[in-house]
Amino acid sequence: MAEQHKVLLAGADERDLTQLAEYQAVGGYRAVEKARAMTSDALIDELQKANLRGRGGAGFPMGRKASLIDRKSAKPKYLVVNADESEPGAFKDREVMARVPHRLIEGCLIAAHAIESTDVFIYIRGEYLTEYEILAAAVDEARDAGIFGDVRIVVHRGAGAYICGEETALLESLEGKRGQPRPRPPFPPIQGLYAAPTQINNVCTIATVPVILELGAEEFAKTGAPSSPGTAIFSVSGNVARPGNYELDLGTPMRELIYEHAGGIAAGRELKAVIPGGSSVPALTPDQIDVPLDYDSLGAIGTFFGAASLIVVDDRCCMVQLAIRSTKFYMHESCGKCTPCRVGTRWMVQILEAIENGTATHADLELLDSVGDNIMGKVLCALGEFAVYPVASYLHKWRDEFEAHIEHGGCPFGSSSSLDGILAPSDQHAHTPAGTEALV
Amino acid sequence: MSSLYDEIQEVRARYPEGSRSAVLPALRLAQERDGWLSREALAEVADALEVTPAFCYSIATFYDMFHLEPVGRHTIDVCTNLPCALCGAQEVVEAFESELGIRAGETTPDGGVTLRAVECLGGCGYATVVAVDDRYRQQVRPETVPAIVEDVRG
Amino acid sequence: MSTELVRVTIDERDVHVPKGTGIVETALAAGVEIPVFCYEPRLGAPVGACRMCLVEVEGMPKLQTGCTLTAQDGMVVKTARTSPKAASGQNATLEFILVNHPLDCPVCDKGGECPLQDLTFRYGPGNTRMSFEKLTFEKPIPISPTISLDRERCILCYRCTRFSESVSEDGQLVAANRGAMSVITTFEDLPYTGAFTGNVTELCPVGALLPTQYRFEGRPWEIVDVPTVCGLCPVGCNIHATVREGKVKRILSRNHPEIDEGWICDKGRFAYTHLRAGDRLSEPLLRARRRGLEPISWDAALDEAERLLRAARGRVVTVLSGSETVEQAYALGMLLRRGLGSHQAMLPEEVSGALDAYRLPLAAIRDADVVVVLGDVPVAERAPVVDLWIRSARRNGARILDDASDPAVAEASRVVLVWSGPGGRGGATVAKLAEKLGLAGREGCGAFYLPETPNGRGVADAWAACCDDESEPAGSIGLLVVSGDEAAADENVRALAEQADATIVISMFGGLAAGWADLVLPGTGYLERDGTFVNLEGRLQRLRRTVEPPCPDELEWIAQLAARFGVDVAPYAAAVFAEVSRRVYGGLAFGEVGERAPLRVYPDAEERVARPALPDREPKAGRGQIRLVAYKPLFSGAAVERVTELQFQRPQPELELSADDARRRKITTGDLVSVGSNGSAITLPARVNRRLRAGIARVALEHANGLAGVVEIEKATEAVSA
Repeated sequence: MAEQHKVLLAGADERDLTQLAEYQAVGGYRAVEKARAMTSDALIDELQKANLRGRGGAGFPMGRKASLIDRKSAKPKYLVVNADESEPGAFKDREVMARVPHRLIEGCLIAAHAIESTDVFIYIRGEYLTEYEILAAAVDEARDAGIFGDVRIVVHRGAGAYICGEETALLESLEGKRGQPRPRPPFPPIQGLYAAPTQINNVCTIATVPVILELGAEEFAKTGAPSSPGTAIFSVSGNVARPGNYELDLGTPMRELIYEHAGGIAAGRELKAVIPGGSSVPALTPDQIDVPLDYDSLGAIGTFFGAASLIVVDDRCCMVQLAIRSTKFYMHESCGKCTPCRVGTRWMVQILEAIENGTATHADLELLDSVGDNIMGKVLCALGEFAVYPVASYLHKWRDEFEAHIEHGGCPFGSSSSLDGILAPSDQHAHTPAGTEALV
Repeated sequence: MSSLYDEIQEVRARYPEGSRSAVLPALRLAQERDGWLSREALAEVADALEVTPAFCYSIATFYDMFHLEPVGRHTIDVCTNLPCALCGAQEVVEAFESELGIRAGETTPDGGVTLRAVECLGGCGYATVVAVDDRYRQQVRPETVPAIVEDVRG
Repeated sequence: MSTELVRVTIDERDVHVPKGTGIVETALAAGVEIPVFCYEPRLGAPVGACRMCLVEVEGMPKLQTGCTLTAQDGMVVKTARTSPKAASGQNATLEFILVNHPLDCPVCDKGGECPLQDLTFRYGPGNTRMSFEKLTFEKPIPISPTISLDRERCILCYRCTRFSESVSEDGQLVAANRGAMSVITTFEDLPYTGAFTGNVTELCPVGALLPTQYRFEGRPWEIVDVPTVCGLCPVGCNIHATVREGKVKRILSRNHPEIDEGWICDKGRFAYTHLRAGDRLSEPLLRARRRGLEPISWDAALDEAERLLRAARGRVVTVLSGSETVEQAYALGMLLRRGLGSHQAMLPEEVSGALDAYRLPLAAIRDADVVVVLGDVPVAERAPVVDLWIRSARRNGARILDDASDPAVAEASRVVLVWSGPGGRGGATVAKLAEKLGLAGREGCGAFYLPETPNGRGVADAWAACCDDESEPAGSIGLLVVSGDEAAADENVRALAEQADATIVISMFGGLAAGWADLVLPGTGYLERDGTFVNLEGRLQRLRRTVEPPCPDELEWIAQLAARFGVDVAPYAAAVFAEVSRRVYGGLAFGEVGERAPLRVYPDAEERVARPALPDREPKAGRGQIRLVAYKPLFSGAAVERVTELQFQRPQPELELSADDARRRKITTGDLVSVGSNGSAITLPARVNRRLRAGIARVALEHANGLAGVVEIEKATEAVSA
């Protein structure tokens, strides 16, 4: 089996790194000492040189983000860690928090020093209860050991809303409001949490920061792919023999990840599709998987690195059903603030269900495409587009299958699709407030 | 003076004065106490946070983890999002349905268990993920369902 | 916003605007409309929710929302008029908005004055591609007795919830649920309660939130919106009265940016139906032995009035309400003072001219650094819109204090004082404080006194203007003339009537005069009058007759009666005003008062001295003692009492206690407390108000049972509550 390159998760196989002493035994919390010996300007320079690209999905360089913070502001500066990992297919932040919480905490302390912040919030998704307990215990242990200095770290639990992974929605939620995205500008480095300058980074991004200090920016920049230094933890799920998290250098070929690390397609089935960045990105066909896993290479073939999370789909799956289940998720998670996403996702579900039920016409395929187009580029945040990207790719790359539904008057898979009958939370009767029962 | 009030004041102290950041932890405290968020509980949280009950209601209904109606003493949440769905989550849901004698979205008549299909729980590599009273059981298969139900029912 | 001008190109037209101007406004300056739904600058920062205002901006790959962008130098913006991309974005948004919107325009009260209809007409698709089931909800549902909500029509622009959160700050109207299932709601089934709820019906850009009173009452082409001024409180909000077939059907705001910014209170908006109250008088009434009051003709009534006036032989005492127009008060003064030499009058409250040196438009409160609110009566209960200005000041960073000796007051550059409550000596106290703080002539500094009556100042000016003579009080009262409903409802006035040989009451409502008046002359309401009011800023404003009253106008019969005493009074407001104006308003002509009146000063006006209503001096509470403030609630008075659908807004019987005083007495919210003074006591549930200062307890007048001043408060024992 091919070797992983463990940097974020280094040492966690051998030791219980949730314990402070164990983490210190592998050199933990020395990077923060190194960082604190530097001025914040020098530290930001170092981070910029490392060219660490944000692991949250957009790939924006972390050091560049830090340089945008108005450190002269009279207001407090905030560091917010986005640990609201909710993208279907992604489960890597969870492993980092559960296994190397101190590496994340150390990254927080370094990043806080860079932006001259003493207030750190880690926003962890509400469902991650065990991970919260581990992380909170680690925070307490490190604080009690006097490692924090004057920094305060608050671990704040979400309560079940995918949209809070969007950075401005996360800030709203952290401020105690409904997690609805804010218009930008103003951008968080200027006006973020409590209207103060705010740096927001993903768990894996921040947990990589100590590594940069350990190696030095120049050395770090040489690792991984040229345009995307470092490693990434890739979450692999779906129809593979060995699903799980694999920490690999950026630039590792996708085929190697699927067929060597993850053991190939399970149960001798054929590969049908790979959704490479979590469920929100355009899917790839089997002939597209000879691609290096980095931001630019995936961008070049019309998809996204996203959450570095591959959902592997085998040939039993009906792509229309895949589209329905995916869109129902985004419909359910739409925050309801902007019109195209709130209305368009529900409309897409209706069209897709008509296709699946055999009541649609060829014109409905054009309509589906057009509704998607009408969402793209018109929404307040990316969620609406996340609903459209995958569905548009299914429709264009597996067009035959969509047309077969129309010609066949229903699903050509019969009941043999791996997603047949799959229930979505939006299907089951759930709470609606008094007087709002939909009379559909 | 209720202890919920005091606990909420403690949580409030973690956040800047005048902010409403404590609303999620405060609602969670109330739900942990009562199992769900009744009208009275929402009003109690509102009072402790010096906000309106309507505000608390608005927040509570935005987030999936808050129960605005009574739930069973135990909750079983089965992830049916894509990665789990591709690996047979629907069979797991159905196994729970037949084991519990209810449909997803319902509570057993004895008020013991509420079964729900939920969106991605972030355990995609370990399908099917089931959260039992918010603790994850991973790689659940239809054949392991009876043992889980037995475990829950004690 | 800066004063730096920047050049922006909108649809190939260059326009220069101050840097930071919103793009919607910038486009307007270039003569280009950018359609909007959620954008409403009065609600705070734009939210970019509806996506109607999508525009193309050079250098930006994606379409941008015009509402969230601000003008920067060299910006090139293309709207849907010149950018196919922007046009397709706008069309997409409008199609999405219409996907779930029902096609019930023919039975929708918003129809014809609906922004969604208008924008669909101008930019919308000609047909629909939505062939699936629309979202449907139970409809309409009352969110209060005055407002109905139709959730199917709602386009979720969040204007209403933003108003509730960031303008009135009542936090009662919220969005619930998420995504497609999002709805606007109150908490459970509680009605949306508060001074300003009705504003959401005007903010709503579709027919989702509508005033229930107006349901199916008129189509836009059948109505006329008459501009006038609200006469129910001393703010004098500018309003439109929607009139159909001689009846007022609705009250709308009419934005005066210095006074109300387009917000009005629910009393001003919904109390208009008092004009058609069951006991509204249209004919004079005369007391007949044993049979009570009986209708008589106007000729007979004027004969009787003349007889009573002559019989009093100058021993006439006049009680004014402060809700008369300047012209009515002047005419009455001419009749009684010039005609009969009866100078004795009870004015509704003290009016001081001392504040004139500290005049500011109300809007200036918003820009203050410090606002000191004194007087202990909630501002919203006295002058509701002033409360909104103070909230807006707080949101802008001002400190709101209740103590003028706070060091922050001396340090601040823009200081505004507000006196809300008893004991202010008609503004003299707060004027003196302003003098002590050296506020005179300082930019952005000023002082306001919130009187109890809508036109106390104007009435006092007018009463003084008609005659310079004075007289000593006579020993007895030959005739008591009670003008207006507030005076007629006053217990003290009724007590005075018992000492009088006879009483004439001018009132709109039979219920107020029954039992104690000898002659009742029907009165008119502010929506039926032509004339002027002076508001709490000292601003002279114009009332217009929006509908004909069911009885002759006061000026008409006062003029007739005055003629019988040899006094010449014109029966027209314009003519009467001209006379008053010569003495008080610097000769300003009636026609120049203006539809959006400026705040004028009258340097040439004769010095008018305030006259006394002589309230008792405020008793000082000692240490550990509590002073009870029994305030007149906003939702009270003759008009409100006659509007069934406003009854839910009336204050609960409860006693507000400061946290400090409550703790000392081990009282928590909901406990029954006994409030006593001089042997009499009442029992009320307590509500702890963390914002109330120690030493003060508050209760609505109607629940005070006559108690006021220093009181003993304790947790009610069994014996007391029994």
